[in-house]
Order: sequence, then structure tokens, then C-alpha cells
Amino acid sequence: MTLLADLILMPLVAFVVGLLLVLMARRVRAKIERRVGPPFLQPVYDIVKLYAKKTQVSHGVMHDLAIMMLLGGFITAEIFLPVPGLDGLAEHGDLITLVYIMMVPMLGLALGVGSCANPNGSIGISRALTAMLAYDVPYVVVIVGACISYGTTNLIDIVQIQQQGGPATWGAATMPILAFAGLLATHGMLGKEPFEIYIAPAEIATGPMTEMSGKYMGALFVMQCFQLYTVGVLYTTMFLGGGENWLFFLPKVFAVIFISVAVTNVYGRYKTDDVIRWMWKWPTGIALVGLALVMVR
Amino acid sequence: MTLTAHHVVLPVALPLLVAFLLPLVGRLSDGLARLLAQLTTLAVAVIALLLWPAASDGGALVSAMGGFAAPIGIVFYADKLALMFVVALAVGLLLFRPRREHDSTKVQTLWLLLLAGGSGLVLSGDLFNIFVFYEITAVATYGLGASAHTGAGYGASLRYLLLSALGSAFALLGIALVYAAAGTLNLADLSQLAGERLTGPMGLTAFVLMVLGFGVKAELFPVNTWVPEVYTAAPTRVTAVLAGVVSKLAMVVILRLLVLLFQDPAALGFLLLLGAIGVAAGELAAFRSRDLHRTFAYSSIAQLGLMAVAFSIPGHAGVLAGIAVALHHLVVKPAFFVLADRWRGEIAGLTGAGRTSPLAAGLFVLLSLSIIGIPPLPGFWAKLMLFKAAIDAGGAGNLTAVAIILAATVIEAAYLFRVVGILYGTAPAGRPPLRFTLGELAPGLLLGAVLIAATVSVAPLGDGLTAMAADSADAAAYASRVLPGGN
Amino acid sequence: MPFALPFDMTSLDLLMAIAAAATVLLYLFGTARLGGYLATLLHGAALAVTVAMGLDLAAGAGAIPSSLRLTVLGQQLAWTLDGLGWFFLLLTTGAAFFSSWYMAGEWGRVQQRARIQHGTLALNVLTMVLLLSAGDLLGLFIGWEFVSWAAFAMMIQAGGPATQAAYRYMLYALAGAMALFAAILVVHGAAGGFGFDQMRAALPDMSTGMLWTLFALFAGGFGVKMALVPTHLWQAPAYSYTPGASSAFLNAVSARMGLFALILSLVKLIGFDTLAGLRIPMTGIESTDILAWVAAITMVVPTYIALMQTDARMLLTWHGIGQGGYMLLGILVATPLGVAGGLLHVFNYATYQMALILAVFAVIHRTGTADLDELGGLITRMPLTYVALLMGIIGLAGLPPMNGFVSKWMIYKALIVTQQPLLSIAAFVGTLGTILSVYKLIHNIFLGQLRVEHREIREAPWSMTLPMLVLAGIGFVTGFAPGLALSIVDQAQAAMGVALLPHHLGGVVLATGSLNMLWVVGVLVGAIGVGALIFYVLGNRRFETHQYDNYAGGHFLSADIRYHFSHEFYPGLARVIGPWYRGWVVRMEHGLGVLAEVSGDLWHGVFRAAYTPLYVLIVAVLGLFWAGGAGGFGS
Repeated sequence: MTLLADLILMPLVAFVVGLLLVLMARRVRAKIERRVGPPFLQPVYDIVKLYAKKTQVSHGVMHDLAIMMLLGGFITAEIFLPVPGLDGLAEHGDLITLVYIMMVPMLGLALGVGSCANPNGSIGISRALTAMLAYDVPYVVVIVGACISYGTTNLIDIVQIQQQGGPATWGAATMPILAFAGLLATHGMLGKEPFEIYIAPAEIATGPMTEMSGKYMGALFVMQCFQLYTVGVLYTTMFLGGGENWLFFLPKVFAVIFISVAVTNVYGRYKTDDVIRWMWKWPTGIALVGLALVMVR
Repeated sequence: MTLTAHHVVLPVALPLLVAFLLPLVGRLSDGLARLLAQLTTLAVAVIALLLWPAASDGGALVSAMGGFAAPIGIVFYADKLALMFVVALAVGLLLFRPRREHDSTKVQTLWLLLLAGGSGLVLSGDLFNIFVFYEITAVATYGLGASAHTGAGYGASLRYLLLSALGSAFALLGIALVYAAAGTLNLADLSQLAGERLTGPMGLTAFVLMVLGFGVKAELFPVNTWVPEVYTAAPTRVTAVLAGVVSKLAMVVILRLLVLLFQDPAALGFLLLLGAIGVAAGELAAFRSRDLHRTFAYSSIAQLGLMAVAFSIPGHAGVLAGIAVALHHLVVKPAFFVLADRWRGEIAGLTGAGRTSPLAAGLFVLLSLSIIGIPPLPGFWAKLMLFKAAIDAGGAGNLTAVAIILAATVIEAAYLFRVVGILYGTAPAGRPPLRFTLGELAPGLLLGAVLIAATVSVAPLGDGLTAMAADSADAAAYASRVLPGGN
Repeated sequence: MPFALPFDMTSLDLLMAIAAAATVLLYLFGTARLGGYLATLLHGAALAVTVAMGLDLAAGAGAIPSSLRLTVLGQQLAWTLDGLGWFFLLLTTGAAFFSSWYMAGEWGRVQQRARIQHGTLALNVLTMVLLLSAGDLLGLFIGWEFVSWAAFAMMIQAGGPATQAAYRYMLYALAGAMALFAAILVVHGAAGGFGFDQMRAALPDMSTGMLWTLFALFAGGFGVKMALVPTHLWQAPAYSYTPGASSAFLNAVSARMGLFALILSLVKLIGFDTLAGLRIPMTGIESTDILAWVAAITMVVPTYIALMQTDARMLLTWHGIGQGGYMLLGILVATPLGVAGGLLHVFNYATYQMALILAVFAVIHRTGTADLDELGGLITRMPLTYVALLMGIIGLAGLPPMNGFVSKWMIYKALIVTQQPLLSIAAFVGTLGTILSVYKLIHNIFLGQLRVEHREIREAPWSMTLPMLVLAGIGFVTGFAPGLALSIVDQAQAAMGVALLPHHLGGVVLATGSLNMLWVVGVLVGAIGVGALIFYVLGNRRFETHQYDNYAGGHFLSADIRYHFSHEFYPGLARVIGPWYRGWVVRMEHGLGVLAEVSGDLWHGVFRAAYTPLYVLIVAVLGLFWAGGAGGFGS
């Protein structure tokens, strides 16, 4: 019964928190641009608006299926990502599994965009995958380092290990260099400036979104909520000790995303190859140093 | 009909006699001369086969000419090894016999001289006779090498003559040294004296000289520079016999020298060195050559290098391996030359030739696989025996030789299968297809069939060869048979 | 065998008989109308016998002997199949079954020389049976040569570029075989025979140098077949230019024979313990570490070469090389988890790679090209092929829910647990490259815009789509329930002498993080169902639009201009890593060729020298000096 509750609750919580994270991102941007910013329910309005559109243009079965894979992939990811009080199925699939489950929606999106037969969309996916290769290289170094340091890949155990001695046993304290590299990679993962090469509105007509409208676009919006949540929670789980309860947990998640969101607004956009160079030089280099420290210890 | 030891001289005497008669008969009728020559060749093969049972019963048939017993008389020694090569020579000569259109009588005469000389080479039990027969063989070869009546043929033959003459001088010098040291030229006698008289620098010098001398025919490095030229310029039938059979006869002589006279590690090392260089040099040069005749000529050098390596391994394992390599090459190389006869010129020009004559191309692949040493073909077992013998004997030299041979095998496959790729390529339009007549291909096909038969019956063949090798490698048995009642 | 066989035949005899009969029959009748189905039937029978053998082995039969015995030159040759051989045999007969099925219908009818394709396929199976059941080192070598040359026969049949590729393969394979020959000779020298037991008995007395030699020769010889870097150049072209199902067969099992032989020689005969004792002095680097790094490089470098390919077949075959690296790396971890992961990857790879290759050849069959710049949008015309390819690439990329994920997970996990961070990172990085590459594959063929000339193309016939869909289905089922495949792997692992990995139907339970694919796949499928529910229930009804209604960069895409982004799919990446492709292995290979040519020239020159007698004299003089020296003139 608890399992069933987990199965239903975890994606729902993720969605709601995700909406709040989106709201935060937009409010922060507005503050920086000295605007008032959207009202509290704006993300919800947006989704309702997109789903309520009269014309729902589909580009074939794969396009529809992609939307399902996209949502399904993230829902699955949430269920394998333990949060306070809700372990879900984290016992049956570990950090590595989670990382690869998170690629399923990515693949779904890529397939859907590809089947739209719009070259701008394809270019967007080409860039998105390139960006993935760029930020995932430091990210896997971070993950491998963390797993070896914790001696397990089980996320529940990783949280427990960190909670044994308060902030002193957090990953960020025991392996600060890896945690820093992880933060850089996380920022890349969110696809914000200066790494937003695959949206790049002025260059490739918003890339993957070019042929998306109506509920297709709505699904992408939902996906963004999930993505912010997942990335934030994963980082919190790996380096910020997870959380004993939601009161301690949520601020950490928001803080992680806030750092990213706050930083992003002051940057322009890198070229594709510069993203790779930067990601493979700095975060990867730092992560390797962190890994060396973990191995020496 | 049972033949006895007295008939051992027949394979030598008969063709020699007929060879002298042949020019006379040829005046009457070319056809009759040809028939006579071929009947003689056949007769030699039959005689050798008839001698076989007796030879295998007693180990060997020994005949002292003129009734004088060894070491005074001239001895003929026919063990299974020798008889086998006599049969092989006769069959080879029959298989590649000259046809009507060739300059018949003269060539037939040389053909018979080659038979007589070759048989004498393996049957003689006496160094001086070996030298005499070696010269007869050489003379016949000069003539045959030039029998294509082309400028290249004459040139090649002349250069071969010069080299061979030099080699003969060496060999004679070596024999003289042996005589000086031991006072006899009878092999059986020498084998008993070798231990005390032929060791040391004198013996080794004699050995080096004789190996270089007989090595000319045996295509040993470095006295084999005549090979590519002569094999390319001579008529293919001649080349097939020279490369296939005659070179082995010289190798058998060297084997006898080793087994009976020079079981000295230094002598064996010398032969190993020459053999290993021959393998590497032959395969590399073949890799570089651009026409089939030369390719096969170089490959033949490498194969004789293999034999030299095998014979340089003491004990009967090495002899066995050497004989196996020799027999295998004896079947494969003539067949290769049959194919080269039609596929003359640049290899690159053969593009698509395999598609117009699939049978020939198939034969080429079969022969290539066997000579590279791919199981279950006989070439593999021969190489395996060689390697086993080398490894079991141990020593840095042997191991290096094995490594060289293994590497050379890859080169060998590289050039042979480069040809295969060309054969099965797409022929450029408008070129007349090269086709074999069945008659042209027949000897090759026959040899191919022998190869397959040998593959199937590799187990009994192996047993037979093992017995033969054990016998050939036994110096004491040789001596005791030739010198009955002797010490 | 659950049923009795006549003439005291063992099941291995029966299998050999079937394989031999198939070779002869298919070579003769492969082109006949029903020849293809005869092939499927025969290979199906072989598969059935193999499965029956597996039941016997699982029931504790130990090893299955063959009545075939030969004694040549004092060498006893005998054949016996144990669990390890059986595991690879199952892949072989299975792959042959699916390949022949694929060729049975329309494919066989349009091929010029179907009987050659069928005949060589059956020949390959026969030779592999002989290799996998080899009872001693000599039998292993003979089987090895058989397998190599049978593969050569399969590759060269297509002519054209295949000839060159097959030639190159042959040279590499033969060089490998010669290394193997040297290895068994070294063993013979030390042990006095070719028997496995003789070798094991002689191991303790071997010197370190000899063990290193053996290690290098075995690893080098068999590594060539697996295309371990730097001997990898031959594989992609050789496998790519082989037609159709033959290519799928080669991809699925041929290179795996190298892995089998490597496991046999290094693990079963020499053993992990002895290998671990072999260290480079002063460094503590073990022999297996070296091989593991070779495997890691093989995992990464060929994968990124695959990324740059523009031919669908080449892309997949280059990945095949990379995947081989995962298998070897898993096995070299030498823990039950790693070994099971490596072996499971062998099985998984065979299923998805076959599906992929078959799908690509179905595309070639219909469109006549595999050029990734010349295709696009085929999803509407060939949906079944698309599904097979999609499931295949998910497996190849190692994502859930396909089986490729499970085996890769086990390999990552084994590497992390044994604290080998750099190797784990290499494994992850290889996978990342694979994801990019396989997306390019599916995008450029099936997604994007359909070409005008492909508008009327039909789906591939059922005889071709069914085998690949079944293979993809196996990939899914063993991804959902990896326990099924792990039970098969157990047979091999037991025969290797490695402790078995405890597993259940859904995966493994480990103290350091478990995996239960039943839950992962179940939730994923359920969640996608939820996604579908949301998609269909919420919002207005969808309507489908045409590709030419698209709006690109401010202007409509019209029918006469095709906008399909496919050439140089990852330009940004190419700009960064492009300069890293230096082709140093290619140049090394070229250098070897030049070396052979030059030394050939040298000897050729020697033989052409006009002053032969002069240098014969020189050699004679040198020889005499040597004779004097060796004989003691000097002393």
C-alpha cells in the first residue's frame, strides 16, 4: 500500500515542486530584468493554455509516442529517486539506473523532434545531444567518484551515509571539489545560458520546439518542471545530504536550482564547440582532481 | 617379379643407356624416340616401385658395383627415401613430358639424363659418384633451361652455368678435403670415421663448401640467385620438374651428408642460418614480385629454406619434418607452375581470370591454402611437424627460425591471396578471356587430387613417413647395411 | 539429450552431423526455390539440439563428448563441449537460425548466389562447432583456422570492396593465427603436448618470461579476432561489405569466437590467479590490467570512430568493435558480477546487433543504399523495420528497458565496486558516444524528411521483418527479465571456474545497490501508459500534418526542396574532436605494408644482382672463416 502511495505521490510531488521551481526561475529572471514577473499560478496557466489549444498538430505516431516516452521517462525517474519519506523503488534500481532512466525522455524527445521532419528541430537535437556529451563527461566522473567514495550506488544508502553526522558528512563537505564540478555539470544539464545551444531561438528557431505546439508544447513544459526537480534533487541527494524532512530538503533543492538560475541570466550563449571545450576542460578537470583525492583517501 | 639388390643400379643405368641411344633412334623417327624415352621413364618408375617391398623389408637395398664390396667398390644404396624420390622424379618427368611440338629428341635426351643423374644423386652411396651425378644433372639442367630458345632463356642458363660451375668447384673442393681427412669417399665408411676425422675446422670447411656447392641445385641461400631467372625463362614443364623434384634431390644429398658425416652442432647451425635466411628472403622477394613465375620461384626458395631448417634439427623429428615439407612442396609447386603457364605476365593483368576458369582458380586457392599451411591440408601437418621438431629441440636458433617462419607465413598469404583477389575481380571489358584447356590443366588437377587424397589419408601417411624418417636418420643402420660384417 | 539417439551418437555428434549436412546440402541446393527454408529448418534443428544440450548441461551432465576421434602423427584429437563452449554455441546456432530465416524468402530470391551465402553460413556454423568443442590446443588451433577461413569465404563472396576488406581481414586473422600457433608451440615445448591438462600441469613450472610470452601471444592472437585496438582496422569494412544476414551472423558471433578462445586460454587454462601474479616489475601493473586498458581503449576509440561514419553498416560494425571491449572488460574484472556482466553482454549484444544489422539490410534491400546522407523519413514507409531498429539502438546504447542496459549496468557496477574509476569512466564515456551515434543512425534513416524517390517504397517482406522483430523482442524480454539470460550465462561461468552470481528473474541483489528490471521496466511501461493517458485524454484531438507543411526558418518547406539535416550530424562535436582522429593506427598499418614492400624490394634486388658469383665467393669466404672459428682454428 505504501508502495502504491509512493508510486502516485512521488511524480505528483515532483510535478508540483517542479512548477514552483519554474516559477522561481521566471521570478528571478524578472527581478534581474527589473520586471514585476509572472503571478504565482502562471506555470499552471501556461500548461492549461497549451493543452486547451484547438489545433493539435501531430507529425505522426512517433511524434505522439515521443510525448508519452517523455512523460513516462520522467515519471519513472521520480519513482527511483528517493525523497524524504518516500523511498519509492530506489531499492530496485540504483544511481546508475536512474542516470540511464533519465536518458529515456531525452531519447523520446529526440525521436519525436526527428519525426517532425523539420531541419531546425534536427539541428536542435544534434546540439542537444552534443551538449549532453559535453556535460555528461564531467558528470560521470563526478558520479563514479561519489559512488566509490560512498562505497555504494544505492541512493537510499548514500543519503543515510551523509546524514550520519550532519553537514560534516555531506558529500559537499567530504568531497568539495567533486561537488563543485558536479554543480558546474548540473548547470550544463539544465540547458541554461551559456549552454542553451539547443534552444538558441535566434539561430535555429528554438530547435527542438520548432514543430511543437498545443499539448506537445505543454508536455515539454511539464518535462521542464520534472527536469528542474530531478536535477536539483539528484544533486541534493548526492552532495547535500538529502533531507530528513521536506522542510530541510526543499530549500536545498531550490538553492541548487537558484544558483543555476541566478548565474544564467548574466551570460550570453557559447558556440557548440565552445560548450564542449569548456565542459571537457574545467568541470572535467576539476572532477578528475576530485576523483584523485577520493582515490587517495 | 621380384627384384633384388642388383637391380638398384637400373634406375641410373637404364636412362643413361637410352639417353645415349636416343639421338640415333631420333634419326629414324622422332615419335619412336619419344616413345622410347617415355617408356624408359615409366620403366624406372616401375622398377623403383618394385624395389620398394624389398627395401622396406631389409631397411635398404645395397648394391656394390662390379662385385667389389664397400669401401672399395662403388656402392648404391636404395632405402625407402631414395626410392621415393626416384619414383617422384620419374613420375614428375612423365607428367611434364615434352610434347610433340617441342624440340623432341634433344629435349628427351636431356630429360633422360636428368632422370639418370637425379636417380644417381639419391641412390649413390659414395661422395664422388654423387658429385658425378650432380654434374650430369646440372648439365641436363643447363640445356633444359635454355630449351625455350629465347634470349632470356639463354641468358638465364648461362648465368646459371657460371654459378653452378662455381658451386661444383666448391663441392669438389669439399669432397677433396673430406678425402684428405678421411681417405675414403664411401658414405658408410665415412660415417664411421666422421667422429674422429671430420670434426673441427677441416670437417666444417668441407661441409660449408659442399653445402654451398650442392646448395646451388637445392636453391639454398645464397647460391640460389639463378632460380627466379631460370624458372621464369625456362619452359614451364622444365620449371615444374626443377622446382618440384630436382631441387629436393640435392636436398636429400645434403641430408645424407648431415646424417652420416656432420652431426656437428656448428654444421647444423650453418644450415639453419641459410635456411632461415632463405625463408625470409624468398617470401619477401615473392611478396615484391609482379608475375606468377617469379612469385612461385621465390616461394620455392622459401620452401627449400624450410627444408633446410628442418634438416638442421638433429634427430629423426627434423628429418621427418623435412621430408614432409619436401613431399608437400613436390606436389604443390609443379601444380602452381601449371597455372602460371597460362597466367603469364603481370599479375595485375589477370583481373577476372578466375571467373573465366573457375576450376583453375579453385585449384589455385587449394594450393595456396595448403602451402600457407591451413589445416587440414597436408601443408599444415608438414609445418606442424617442423615446428614441433624445432620447439622440442629448443635453442635460440631454432626458436628464432620458428618465429621467422611464422612471420613469413603471413607474407606468403599476403602475396598468394592478393592474387586470389585479382583472379576473382571483375575483368575489364574487351580483353580476351584466358582459358585453360583441360589438357593443360590436367597435371595440375591430378596433383590437386593427390593433395586432397593426402589430406584424407594424413594419418597413415604420417605413420609411413615417420618410419621412413626414423630409418633415414639412423647413421648406424646405414653403415651396418653397407658394410656387412664390418665393425 | 532428452531422447535416445541411434548408433550411440552423442548430441554433439548429432549437431556436427547436422552442421556438416547443412553445409553440403545448402551449397548444392541453396538456390533452389525452397532452399532457404531448408536452411532455416536445418539451422533450427541445430538450435534445437543445442537447447537440448543446454538442458543436459543444466542437469549436471558436465561436458558432452563427441565420438569423433583422430590420431595424426601421434597427436590425439578429440572434441568435447562444456558449458563455456555451449554458451557460445547457443549464440552461434541461434544467430544462424535467424540469419537463414531472414535469407529464406525474398532476400534469397533476389540474390545472385544464394547458395554461396547459405553454404558459407552453414560452413561457419560447422567450423564454430569444431572450435567451441576443441578438446586440446591443437584442436583449438585447427578450429581457429577453420573459423577464420570460413569467415573469409563468407566475406569475399560479395566481390567489389568486399574483396579488399576480406583480404585485409585474412592478413590480420592469419597474423593472429600465427601468434596462436607460436603460443601452442611454446606450450608444447614446456608441457610436452597439446593437451589442456598437460598445459595446466606445466604452468607452475613455467618461468615468468614464458608466462608473459604465452599471455601476449594468446591475447594478441585472439585479440585480433575481437579487433582489439590496435588490430581493429579490418573488422568494420570486412563485416560491413558482407551481404545481409551473413553480415548479421558475423557481427553477432564471429568476433565472439575470439572472446571464447581468450576466456579459454587466459581464464580456463592459465587462470586469473596466475595472471594476477604476472606483474610488470617495479610498477605493480598486472597483466590483466594491461588487457583491461586495451579493452577500455577498444571501448572508446572505435565508438567515436563509429560516430563519424556515414554508412549505416560501418557505423554499426564499428560499434560492434567497441561493444567487444565491454565484454572483455567485464570478464577481466574477474568478480562474479563482472564476469556475468561480460558474458551477458555477449548474449545481449548478439540479439540487438543482429536486429540492427538485419534492419539496416532491410533498408538497403528496399532503397539500395546504406548511405546515411541519402536516406531519411522512412518511418512512414517501413514502420516495422523502424521498430526493430529502434529497439536495437536502445539496446546498443544501453538504455532501459532493453537488455543492453542490464549487462552494461553489471559491468559499470563491477568496475565501481572494485574501485577502478578510470575504467568505469571509460565505460560510461563509450556509452555516451554510442547514444549520439545511434541517434544519428535512426534519425538519418527513418526520421526527418522522406526523399521523393522513396515515396513508393514498401515495408520489407515478413520473412525479413519477423526475424528482426523476434530478435528485438528477445532483447526486450531479456531486458525485462534478465534472469532468463543469466541462467544461460551461469553455464558458461560455471565452466570457467568462476563463482556464480546469485540472481533472480529480475536481476541481482547486491549490498551496494541492486537492480530489479521487473520493477524498472514495469514502472517505465506503466509510466509511459500514464503518459499516453494524459496525452489522449487531455487536450483537443490531434490531427496529422504532412512533412511539407512544416515551417522552417521563416519559409515553408516545399516538395521540390528537401530539408533533411543529416550530413555531418554533429558539426560542433566534429570541430572539437575531429583533429583527434589522427589515424595513427592506419599509418602504422600502412608502415608495415611499406616495410614489407621495401624489404621485398631489397631481396628482389639481391636476386637480380648480376655479380652473383662474386658475392657467392664472399659468402663462401665468410662461411669458411666462420667454419674456422666455430671449429676452433682460432683457439
